[in-house]
Amino acid sequence: MIIVPCPHCGPRNSVDLRNCGEVVNRPNPDTATLTEWRTYLYLRENAAGWVSETWYCRAGCRRYFTIERNTVTNEIRDQS
Amino acid sequence: MSSHRLPPQPGEVIDRSTVINFTWNGQPVIGLAGDTIASALAAQGVDVFSRSMKYHRHRGIMTADHWDPNLSLQVDDEPNVRAGTRLLAEGMQVSTQNVWPSLQHDVGVLNKAVGRFLSAGFYYKTFMKPKFLWDNVYQSVLRKFAPGGRVHWKTSTHGAYDKRYAHPDVLVAGGGPAGMAAALGAAQAGASVLLVEMAPELGGHLCWGNDAERAALDKLTTAVIAEANIEVMTRSTVTGRYDHNWVAVMQGDHPLAPERLVKARVGSLVVAPGLIERPLIFSGNDIPGVMLSGAARRLINLWAVKPGQRAVVLTANAEGDAAVKDLQAAGVEVVEVVDVRTGAMVASAVGKSRLQKVVLEDGRTIEADLLVTATGWTAPTSLLNMAGNRPVYDPQAARYFPENLPEEILTSGGIAGNGSTDELIAHGSATGVLAANRSLRLRHSRRAATARSRSPEGPAPEALTDTRTPLRREAHPECYRASTHGFVDYAEDVSSKDLIQAAGEGFDSIELMKRYTTVTMGPAQGKLETVNAAAVLAESRGMDLADIGTTVWRPPFAPISLGALAGRIFEPVRRSALQDWHEAHGATALLAGQWVRPDHYGDAVAEAQNVRNGVGIIDVTPLGKIDLQGPDVAKLLELVYVNRWESLKVGRVRYGAMVAEDGVVSDDGVTGRLSENHWLMTTTSSGAGAVWEMLEDWLQTGHPEWQVHVTPVTGGLTSINVAGPHSRQLLERLVSNVDLSSDAFPYFSVRQGTVADVPDCVIWRIGFTGELSFEVHVPSGHALAVWEALLAEGQDLGCAPFGVEAQRILRLEKGHYIVGQDTDGLSKAPTAGLGGLVKLDKTDTIGLPELRAAYQREDLPILVAVQPDDPTVLPEEAAQIVDGQTATILGRVTSSRHSPTLGRSICLAQVAPQLAAPGTVITVLMADGRRIPATVQEHHAHLDHQGARQRV
Amino acid sequence: MSDLLFQSPLNKAELTSPGGNIGLTDESATTKILVRGQGPAVAYGQSKLLPNGTLICGSRPDEWTFLAGPGKSAEVQAGIDQSEATTIVDITHGRAMMRLFGPAATQALAKVCSIDLADDLTPDGAVFSASVAKVTCDLVRSDSQGIQAYLISCERSFGAYLISAVADAAQEFGLGVPAELSLH
Repeated sequence: MIIVPCPHCGPRNSVDLRNCGEVVNRPNPDTATLTEWRTYLYLRENAAGWVSETWYCRAGCRRYFTIERNTVTNEIRDQS
Repeated sequence: MSSHRLPPQPGEVIDRSTVINFTWNGQPVIGLAGDTIASALAAQGVDVFSRSMKYHRHRGIMTADHWDPNLSLQVDDEPNVRAGTRLLAEGMQVSTQNVWPSLQHDVGVLNKAVGRFLSAGFYYKTFMKPKFLWDNVYQSVLRKFAPGGRVHWKTSTHGAYDKRYAHPDVLVAGGGPAGMAAALGAAQAGASVLLVEMAPELGGHLCWGNDAERAALDKLTTAVIAEANIEVMTRSTVTGRYDHNWVAVMQGDHPLAPERLVKARVGSLVVAPGLIERPLIFSGNDIPGVMLSGAARRLINLWAVKPGQRAVVLTANAEGDAAVKDLQAAGVEVVEVVDVRTGAMVASAVGKSRLQKVVLEDGRTIEADLLVTATGWTAPTSLLNMAGNRPVYDPQAARYFPENLPEEILTSGGIAGNGSTDELIAHGSATGVLAANRSLRLRHSRRAATARSRSPEGPAPEALTDTRTPLRREAHPECYRASTHGFVDYAEDVSSKDLIQAAGEGFDSIELMKRYTTVTMGPAQGKLETVNAAAVLAESRGMDLADIGTTVWRPPFAPISLGALAGRIFEPVRRSALQDWHEAHGATALLAGQWVRPDHYGDAVAEAQNVRNGVGIIDVTPLGKIDLQGPDVAKLLELVYVNRWESLKVGRVRYGAMVAEDGVVSDDGVTGRLSENHWLMTTTSSGAGAVWEMLEDWLQTGHPEWQVHVTPVTGGLTSINVAGPHSRQLLERLVSNVDLSSDAFPYFSVRQGTVADVPDCVIWRIGFTGELSFEVHVPSGHALAVWEALLAEGQDLGCAPFGVEAQRILRLEKGHYIVGQDTDGLSKAPTAGLGGLVKLDKTDTIGLPELRAAYQREDLPILVAVQPDDPTVLPEEAAQIVDGQTATILGRVTSSRHSPTLGRSICLAQVAPQLAAPGTVITVLMADGRRIPATVQEHHAHLDHQGARQRV
Repeated sequence: MSDLLFQSPLNKAELTSPGGNIGLTDESATTKILVRGQGPAVAYGQSKLLPNGTLICGSRPDEWTFLAGPGKSAEVQAGIDQSEATTIVDITHGRAMMRLFGPAATQALAKVCSIDLADDLTPDGAVFSASVAKVTCDLVRSDSQGIQAYLISCERSFGAYLISAVADAAQEFGLGVPAELSLH
């Protein structure tokens, strides 16, 4: 179980959080083409290396935040 | 059986005044307190402890510790007990495993005669064909000969397994001199320390050492016990190391639980497991009486057991030399010392149930009943492997060493190098200080970053540089195999011949060879075998051992009982404030998600009829309830629901449906506006948590400028639906400050008021049943009073409780769909019939592009009400709807019940669009294969589609 | 109103151990007022005890929970400075609450909660949320006369389960657990 540095609570066991996946930009839903929308829905980089991820501090402060995690080593660094 | 117990030895751990009675294969035997099962049996003259897995060869003590491949025994109802470390206890019933019918007369020994058929890959090659024999013949016959004991799960009497968390600054794996010194060094530097040792006592090799070593041990033990910062666990194993120093410890010395899994978040991990003595490969190396030097020395020095009468000692190192001295002191006649360092070597051993002769490479044959070997060491680098480290082979020292360790992992003791006791202690101590420094710096930063902590005073401690004097790498001859073939993996009965054959067949990488031959796959998981296997492979391929690599050691370090992994079983359940009442009044409990609910109180049909004809009350507390406050709530609702919300007036209620970003229906419910900026949302029972988190997500990341506060209030408001033609009459008796008349309180409205003298209730005029109904939300601490008042005041109206099943019947009569039952993970808004509700002209709503696309499509399934033409036929839920002529699936029944009101079967179904027109006759495939006709209805509601009953 | 009986999901449980090593009591009737948006100067993770006995907990960023004796909802709410950006919700009925206390309280809690409960990371007055026996809980370390104590609260409907789970963890330290609270 990895430690996730919650910017509000401090370092926490990942069991108390949820990984919401890679950060993706939501296109304007009023103007997006279906292709753009489905790219947003389904396509991810899935990189072996540094990835920007959203986490939800489910059992803690209930805040959503973004970190950078190395998916190979589980090293984590703040987005900032 | 004669006693092999020696006179008192200076370092013995047995208590000669406390005799322990136990049985061995049914025969009563005795041992002493402090004995392991193996030492007690050895003291009684037992030579043969088990039969080997494939060839059923006689096997005796080899290492006399946890890794002994021959000492897995059945103890009472527990299989695979490590008799080399398990302490003897009064009344134990100990028996051999893998023998039939008995240890002396084992039928499996016939396998030896056909040994050539059981070589590498035997099972893969032999039991492939014919396939029809797999289940009935091969499996049942092979099971009889399978190794391992018997699990008596029905009669097991062990206590509950347990679990706990721990957060030591420093965890030391291994309680030998280096590990103890590391623990002391770290504790004295201010770190909290967890010291874990597999054996029953701390001390490692000092336990069976000479006077000076035992004196050093006494000193260390006294200091460790006196140090308040050190928690010691013996008979315990560090079984795994995971990311960010998450370390699993199996605690075996807990006073109550048979085993306890400790999940530790560790600052610094000190790996100091010592070294594991390595066997030598030669013909006969598994005969009882052939043992490693550590086994012989432990038997003599710890348990005062004489391991034999006439011994040959094969030595390549100081421990072998020490074994010679110990044997001589114990009165064993050492007839030959074969010193590898002078070029001498053992060729083979001869014997069956006990060693008889040793043949040397120089041709001499020596009669002996004991052959002690000291031919080298394996570094148990498992925990380092688990951290991604690949240790490197050093041919000068004939073993592997860790290199390039990450900051949070340190090593000391034998795994790091050789040294005198003083040198090991000095290195351990310095390692402990360094480990403490690193972990305390980490702790400082964690404290500074943690909201709940006391802020650290002052800066973090300065980082220490690693100034430890490295332990030296003592030269050691590389001895892996004599000139003859012998066993590499004792537990799996794999010989060096098998490995060479496998390499010849092309399985010539160590990982392939492992899986093909099962070498290193036995209970010791390579602790004894890995390096020998790699050496044989290197020899067969003419390569250097350093280039062969080793198999990767993965968790667990040692086997774990499944009960300990399960630990305590935590399965949260939710109960409404009325659930005790329901159970006291005959309700059948139903587990719906996490909620325990009343399914019915004896007769669901009567309960449903009572609602249609009189009045009933149901506890619908699991309904998700979310309090929304702030000026921007309407904007949020416009975003998360498919329909419009800005225009909803105070005191009014609207139904809303939600879809996900992919357009699939995700939740629904009613939301009411209590005041200008105060709304109350309801969700499905199972969706309440997800909706809450989704709302938070949009507010925090999508629209942080919106001012809305979201508070889930599901359990705080006990929800009671009062339904039936008499519901208004009943409620009027209990509500004084709200006008319940239809004009003042129309359908789809909400009011706040006092019910049965309980203030702060929310009263909704809504209904799932299709009858006039009011849903009362009561502060849960007073819910029982309201529930009982409704029953008491409604007695003359026939008021009675109804359960979930009656509600299901009623809602299906009314044609209300349930998200997740009548829709699934592919059901988009058109399927659920949300056509009139969905507003595609919004500029933003969740899933908007998919909603727009979905309404362009004509191929989506449609949810329709269906009635079987024969009213007595009731299709099962999930029954398929098929083409009348072919087997093509065109839909499925999503809900079905017998309707007591209509006296016929009724359904909701998802059907292909060409079948959705009212009046279409469809074909339902019944579970028994019948195809029955059913007709699509005009409305979802089988009853009162205009809603006259609920609008009165 | 005041004569209304408050029904606790924990049935006023009062569990003790013979030696006083550990105890577990129902505190569900405690007045619990949630304040959102703008609130008192108590940081997230910290708490402050007012002279009148009200404990203000910094429960989350921009979120506070006021804890006071039973039946004090109106009194507590009257004492809260409100602005337009403030939301107040009385969650007294929505949260079950128990007090786990005694010299072994930390050890017992460490069996069901993965948070580091050491004195420097979780000192007296610390406010935090975490999973306890698989239920998300709000906790306050609230020592009394130097004896460790934790206030543990959860969604009301989980209360009956949670007190069984916590009692199960505390049993090893001497807590007497009646059959109706047995976890298995």
